[in-house]
Amino acid sequence: MRLLQLNDVQKSYQPGIPVLTDINFSLDRKECVGIVGESGCGKSTLARCILQLEGLDQGEILFEGTPLHNKTEREIRPYRRQLQTVMQNPASSLNPKLKIRHSLMEPFRQYGAQVSLTHFQHGSEEQLSRQLMEAVELSPDLLSRYPHELSGGQKQRISIARAISLEPALVVLDEPTSSLDVLTQMSILKLLDHLRDALDLSYLFISHDLLAIQALSQKILVMKEGQIVDRFEKDDLFAHERHPYTKQLVSLFD
Amino acid sequence: MTSRLTINRTRATKVFLSAFLILIAAIAVYAFLILKHDPSFVDLNERLLPMSWQHPFGTDHLGRDMLTRILLGFQLTVGYGFLALLLAVAIGVPIGVIAGFKGGLVDRLLMRVADAFLAFPDTVVAIVLSGLLGAGIENLLLAIILVKWVNYARLARSTVVTERQKDYITMAKINGLSEWRIMWKHLFPHLIGHILVLASLDLGKIILLISSLSYIGLGAQPPAPEWGVMLNEARPYFQTVPALMIYPGLAIVTVVLFSNLFGDYLRDKFDVKKEVAE
Amino acid sequence: MTLLSVQNLTVQVGDAPLVKDVSFEIQKGEWLAIIGQSGSGKSVTASAIGRLLAPNLKAQGKALYNGKDILQFGAKEMRRLRGTSISYIFQDYQGSFTPFHTIGRHFEEFLKAHFKLSKTQRREMAEQALVSVGLQPEMYTRYPFQLSGGQLQRSSIALALLTKPDLVIADEPTAALDSISAFKVLRLLADLQQETGCAMLFITHDLRHVRKHADQIIVMKEGAVVEKGDKQSVLDQPQHAYTRSLMTASPSLSAASQLLKGDDTSCVYCN
Repeated sequence: MRLLQLNDVQKSYQPGIPVLTDINFSLDRKECVGIVGESGCGKSTLARCILQLEGLDQGEILFEGTPLHNKTEREIRPYRRQLQTVMQNPASSLNPKLKIRHSLMEPFRQYGAQVSLTHFQHGSEEQLSRQLMEAVELSPDLLSRYPHELSGGQKQRISIARAISLEPALVVLDEPTSSLDVLTQMSILKLLDHLRDALDLSYLFISHDLLAIQALSQKILVMKEGQIVDRFEKDDLFAHERHPYTKQLVSLFD
Repeated sequence: MTSRLTINRTRATKVFLSAFLILIAAIAVYAFLILKHDPSFVDLNERLLPMSWQHPFGTDHLGRDMLTRILLGFQLTVGYGFLALLLAVAIGVPIGVIAGFKGGLVDRLLMRVADAFLAFPDTVVAIVLSGLLGAGIENLLLAIILVKWVNYARLARSTVVTERQKDYITMAKINGLSEWRIMWKHLFPHLIGHILVLASLDLGKIILLISSLSYIGLGAQPPAPEWGVMLNEARPYFQTVPALMIYPGLAIVTVVLFSNLFGDYLRDKFDVKKEVAE
Repeated sequence: MTLLSVQNLTVQVGDAPLVKDVSFEIQKGEWLAIIGQSGSGKSVTASAIGRLLAPNLKAQGKALYNGKDILQFGAKEMRRLRGTSISYIFQDYQGSFTPFHTIGRHFEEFLKAHFKLSKTQRREMAEQALVSVGLQPEMYTRYPFQLSGGQLQRSSIALALLTKPDLVIADEPTAALDSISAFKVLRLLADLQQETGCAMLFITHDLRHVRKHADQIIVMKEGAVVEKGDKQSVLDQPQHAYTRSLMTASPSLSAASQLLKGDDTSCVYCN
């Protein structure tokens, strides 16, 4: 049974203007699947559908065999702790009026009583927050600061710490490094890779940066105008049987 | 160089304010604990007395101690003002938050209602309501609340609409927080700063409104020691004993001034530290 | 022939220096890339040369354009240079266009100001320019909000190259675009640069943009130049540790899969 399975997903915002067409793919545990495409190709909409922030017109989204699509908020709620995300904009991902610890511990405060974690000690909030900060290589002093006192890279590390705080099965990374400078991008990608290994996480990594995708993912899907036009293992990026669009991307980036 | 000057100014202001408040407290202590005059006791033998240790502000045309009445007037005028403000906020903010959060039809409906109320200036509403329901402080307060709640609704709504689209709200949703939890935990801290600033600036306006309408007979009625009422009662004596008008007048001006200064202070405090840093 | 010679350029705001003693030369038809992170002073340098600094910034030093020091030019002389000899492309393509004028109107105004042509001739020239950047001539009648980011930036490029300038100053022109559109726009710029033979002062934070297209590279950090040289030498033998970090973080696509396997020296320069 796949961790995440999408079958024949279709979605339009307006009749006649499809945003997602015939989306089929699956993701296994401990895997990182990358989705690359231009802005407007539908990858962000796909992320929102997988996170159950939006519904589908047709098709299904199965999480560990259970259909999650088009369910009510109440029915989805028990699954939410398994489906986390890190978003593109570090500044708007954290409430500027709240201290870091309050944003970081939000998932734990919501679900903490029900979970048992294997990699983190969660006897108390204090304990867990320290461990999370350590996991993302930040000093625990930052817990009592406000977001505006942290750099972009630090804020994004906090978002990552928040996403992994309950050891979710799947983390949807929606352009997590696109707003950061080149050096910080690399350090964040390294962190993500390391965490995936250490915490048995699975990633759906969405980006317009083929380089980042190639660095982090094992399997790659190429999206164009709402459809998946190519799919391959990372080592086959330069193979000659690639879709012309993929080849175009490769020639642009290389 | 500039920062030294600013520090001195802030310190000077604080010292001045504290001194002033201590002075007022001292006067209040003197009036209520030492003199203990009955503000409604009419003694025509004592009428229109000048300043003395017994009557630091003299007595009015009915022999009542002015100082005691002025101090009680503070309770009334500012008290009523606070009450009206509190109710306006308590009605306006939840409506604005619901409109902003729900959006769609609910939003449009609530904002149409708000627009309707906005069409009437407070003075006119107060006069009309008093005409319909009879003069009295309750009707005046009702009129004020009916007009003022709209601004708080709009402020709350626009804050919610701005913040609602931010990613941290989406994250809260993904983390399973209910809509109410999100409103309380995430939106309320944003609201509180804006509302405090608006409210403190509004207080001055409301006080002026209460006093001026009481002055023309709508609102508080004699023998209440409300400052506007006292101003009205003192009119015939303006040329002979101007003190009767000057004290309540000064009292109104002072309170409104302080309320505005406090509002400015709050606005600076909330702007500089948190808003600018975003 | 040295087109632009910048000598000891220093820009200060109050007492704090934003750009410290920067010197470089651009030859006719050469592509010079300035690479740096935010705060490195690279955009301030470009603004200083273009005389577009905010009023509270003071520039010192020389910027010799065809032998004349443009830092000393008056407003009128500078206006004559701009748009004819020196053109700009900015990062903020949205802000470069008036929202309630059509794309065509932007071209119209520009052409009227700089050329004596009939209305038909102007329209033809504008449509040709649009085609040269890979856009349909119909875009002439569209409004900015109807175009995508990439299309708007292409329109900016078309406008910038309309007068066949000798020097184009491009300040992070692709930073607000997704990588794919960015590389497409870059390719376009490179082709046009070859065709028109103009010189390019290209400001960017991403070393990947310069691997293919630059002739000369300057790396800036905290207002100062830390590395300078022709592209091949800088990429093959970077002298400064900062340049080396940048290079490690921006590998070619073939090397990308190994990016994260590198040695784990904690990144000194990142956030």
